[in-house]
Parts: sequence; structure tokens; C-alpha cells
Amino acid sequence: MFLALKEMRHSRTRFVMIGIILVLVSWLVFILSGLGNGLADLAASTFKNMAADYVVYQKGSKASMSKSLLSGELKADLLAMPSVEAASPMGIIMGSAVKESGDPEENKVDIALVGIEPGSFLEPAVTEGTGLDAGEPNFAIVNETMKNEGFGLGDTIILDGAPASLTIVGFVKNQTYNHVPSVFIPIETWRELAFAAPGSDKGLKDPVNAIMLQGKNIDPDAVSQRLPGTETVTRAQAIQGIAGYKEETGTIFMMLGFLFVISAFIVGVFFYVFTMQKSNQFGIMKAIGAKNGFLGKAVIAQVFVLSLISIAIGILLTFGTAAVLPKGMPFKLETNWVIAYSLVLLAIALLSSLVSVRTIVKIDPLKALGRVES
Amino acid sequence: MTQGLEMRSVSKFYNAGSEKITALDRVSVKVEPGEFVAVVGPSGSGKTTFLSIAGALLKPSEGEVILNGQNIAALPDRQLSDIRLREIGFIMQASNLVPYLNVLDQLLVVKRMAGKVTSADKAFAVELLAELGLDKRMKNYPEELSGGEKQRVAIARSLMNDPGVILADEPTASLDTKRAHEVVSLIARAVRTRRKAAIMVTHDERLLSYCDKVYRMEDGKLSQMEPEPVRIS
Repeated sequence: MFLALKEMRHSRTRFVMIGIILVLVSWLVFILSGLGNGLADLAASTFKNMAADYVVYQKGSKASMSKSLLSGELKADLLAMPSVEAASPMGIIMGSAVKESGDPEENKVDIALVGIEPGSFLEPAVTEGTGLDAGEPNFAIVNETMKNEGFGLGDTIILDGAPASLTIVGFVKNQTYNHVPSVFIPIETWRELAFAAPGSDKGLKDPVNAIMLQGKNIDPDAVSQRLPGTETVTRAQAIQGIAGYKEETGTIFMMLGFLFVISAFIVGVFFYVFTMQKSNQFGIMKAIGAKNGFLGKAVIAQVFVLSLISIAIGILLTFGTAAVLPKGMPFKLETNWVIAYSLVLLAIALLSSLVSVRTIVKIDPLKALGRVES
Repeated sequence: MTQGLEMRSVSKFYNAGSEKITALDRVSVKVEPGEFVAVVGPSGSGKTTFLSIAGALLKPSEGEVILNGQNIAALPDRQLSDIRLREIGFIMQASNLVPYLNVLDQLLVVKRMAGKVTSADKAFAVELLAELGLDKRMKNYPEELSGGEKQRVAIARSLMNDPGVILADEPTASLDTKRAHEVVSLIARAVRTRRKAAIMVTHDERLLSYCDKVYRMEDGKLSQMEPEPVRIS
């Protein structure tokens, strides 16, 4: 630490410059992770926050709600199976909503209409207002981001292109699907909207997209076997099956991966070149008795201090950025992820500094003798 | 136990292609504590190899190097580094100081290499620097020092661990005559008052009068020269 800090103070400029690069890299890492989280939530929070353990889809639908169509009658069969504690159907269609205001040019809002059984475990708790009511087919509880679009409790939503209107009776939190706010409605109402065209239900009785199951010990393979034409997956697999979800998060993770590799090379190469420049100095120190460990520790300490400060500044800048980002931006910093990525960045920096340590080990103390330095 | 440094029939061979080069040829020399020995000779004569072996930087091909009674010729690298740290003080050519340490830290870093720095170490460093006339320069960095001052710091550094042996490699290479005399006389004084066994490799024959014995190195062979007419230094 002694050598490390003295040198950093003495050669401030070069350490500040490399520090700035590391700050920018870590800043970008945190922003990307925030965006990744935000997008992933926007795409799937209804599924992520759903109190279900397994999802039963139509066979061949690849865990996608929009591809799957099942009869709601399967619910009874599912409930009869071992380990299934609860089962409830769900259906989702995309739509657009207009606030009833009499203004023909009122803005439209994209929504996901999620049909559920009122009172079932699929109905999220409201943060405001009341829940759904089995006797009120036009009640809807909606994600609170709809407030930003001007919707309030008691407002009537007209569904664009459908002869139906809904009344907002409650708001829920963190319920989005496919990047748009979720609007929960009774499953019967949903059926009328989803299968308005004759024959679109393929003759199934009580058609739904999927049936959600509760029960930690459910064997998904057994369920699929007992009910031909279905496939049962975990909730995590169901999230992966949401259209575009994998692609979206995959892109973000790929960028993060590249950033980690880049940061490894930045730190590794900088300290390697720096070490090479100082090889004479290291030779002299070895000649007067410095051990490899003593010199290696100095380099590792420098990398540690430099990375730690840079990452800390990167975190501060990220929180600053989060504060000024527009409200609708899908940006969600999670402390756990910030800590995890900080540790990854730090570990990568320390690992890449080992290249320099190896260089130091190889330096011959004989370098110190018999040559006049220029 | 013999104090000081003794080399017994030390040889060093290098392989250059098919040729075997003898850099040192059965060199024997003994330096007692308090004795200041000079080694002169043309470049390529093996002076640096000689000093490297004496300074535990290089292992001899044959022969024994006895430092304070211990044969160090065949010790592993890790122990050699310890020997250098505790038993040998190096004074190298100019600008061999660590650029980002001030004068006081140049000395204390030697103690850090060995472990902890105590307040006694600090007092000793201050004392050494004062002795070498550097008490006003303790907080200065090498870039702020003159060539002579840098070498005085190097002398102080070589004494910091209170080693038995002091080795100086062309310590006056980049100094003018006045500074060169100043630096070598300081080394000579430290060697005598602190009872160190010292070897200085040099080109500069003007400085030999400070030394007790002068050896000439030629083609890897070391031979003692006739003492010069005594001059009071």
C-alpha cells in the first residue's frame, strides 16, 4: 500500500486518466444494467410478480401466451393432480384504451388486457381503490403508470375497436406485460373481447391462454403427460417465453459482457505497459532486496484502489443519471445488481493486473547493475 | 565466524552459441569489515559480473562466496533476495532512486521491504541523512536533487539496513570531479566508521586514493595492484 499510494499521488495525471476511463466503463455498466432491469420488468413484471409457480400451456406454444389456447375446463383436471394446490386460468390480449372524455382526439394508450378470475391468486393486490368483483364484468384494475396518461379511479376506459368499456376501480403496482401497462379484467369479459370473431376460439369450451398453478412440488413432466396437448413450464421459463424477452435481455447481457472484457483489457494493458516502463525501477528495487510479493502487492493495491474509487464514482454518476432520466424511461436500478456488477468489475480488474505481476516476477534484478540509464 | 566478504576461486561461464565464455576466472578476494576495496578495469573485463556475484544477484558457476561466514553461492533466489535486503547495501549508478518517493521514504522503503517501519528506523534514517548533509532535503523528490545529492541518498539507503557489505557500482559515473570526490569520500568515511566491508567498481582512477586496496580486473582475472603513493584524504 505504501508504494502504491505514494506513486499514485506522484503520478496523479496518468492514474486520473485511466480512472476516468474506468469511471465511464462502470457508469455504462450500471446504466445498462438499470435499463436491462427496467426493460425486463416492463416486458414481464405481471409474470414476475405473479403468485404462480408453474404455467400450463398448449403443447407447441413454446411457453408463449399469444400462441397458446386451452380450454378452461382443464382447471378441474389440474386441481385433481398431486401437489397442485391451486389453479387459475389466465388470458392476455393486447389492446388500446381511450379515456372516455367526449374528445374524439383523445390519446390512445397501449394496454395488455389480462383476464383472470376475480379473487384468485392471480389478482394482484391493489394499492388504491378496490379489487375485481365477479359480479361486475366491467370492473378493471390497472397498473398505476396509467395515471401518467391521465386515468384516474372511476374513469371509464373505452377499448378501441371493441364494443366495450371498462371502469377503473383500482390501481396496482409493477404490473406490465410486453412493455405496456396491464389491465386486469374478469376472465369472462376477457373472453368476449378475445374471441369476438366467430370461430376464433376453435370450438374450445371456456378458452383461455394458459392455466397458472400453485404448488412447489409439482412435477411439470407428469402434468404434461397426464393432460395430452399441454406443456407445463416453470414461471421462470414462462417469462423467457414472452415474445422478445430473451432477445431484449440477451442484447443487454451481451453488451455488459463486452464491457467487462473491455474493462479487463483496459486495466490489464495499462498496468502492463506501465510495469514495462518501470522495469528498470523494479530491477533496482529487487537488487536492494525487494521481494516479488512486495512489488506485486503494490501493483495489485493500485488496481484495487483505482478500481474501487472509479466504480464508486460510477455508481454515484449512475444514481445521478437515474434522477434526471425522464419518468417513462424503463430504468430500474437494483442494489443487488449494482453490488454484483461492482464486484465483477473489481474482480476483473484485479485478475487482469496479474499479467503485470507476472511481468514483475520475471524482471531480473541484474538490470540494476552496469548500465547507465538514459 | 569470518565477518566481511570472501570469494574463493569464483568462476562464471556463459554459453554464447557453441562458445563458452569465461566472464570470471577463478577470482579470489577477501574484504574485511572496515576495508574499502576498489576494482578497476576496462569495460567487458568482468567487473559487473564480479559485483553481481558479490552482491547475490548472480550465482557463480564455480567457487564459494562467503558472506559473514555463510556460503551464499548456491542459495535459492528467494533467500538471495533476503541476503541482499539484510546483508548488502548497493550504491548504483546515478538516478537509481524511486522517482515517487521523497528522500526520507527512499530509506524507509528498505525497511518496509523487510516488514514494518519503527520509530527507531525513522530516527536512524534521519541520522544517516543528517550525516550525509541531506537534513534539509528529506522531503524532496529525486527530480529536485542534484546528481551528487542523489548519490548521497543512495549511500544513505545502502546503509539503512545496517548491512555487512557495501557494494558500489560506478557510483561516480555521472558526476563531475568535485562531486565524485565528495561522494567517494563519504562512502569511505561511512565504511570506516561503520565497519563495513566495501567494494567499489570504478573507471575513475582519480578516486583510488580513498581505497585501502585496489584490484585490477582483466579478462575475468582479478589481480591486486601495487598501492599508490599514500595521500592524505
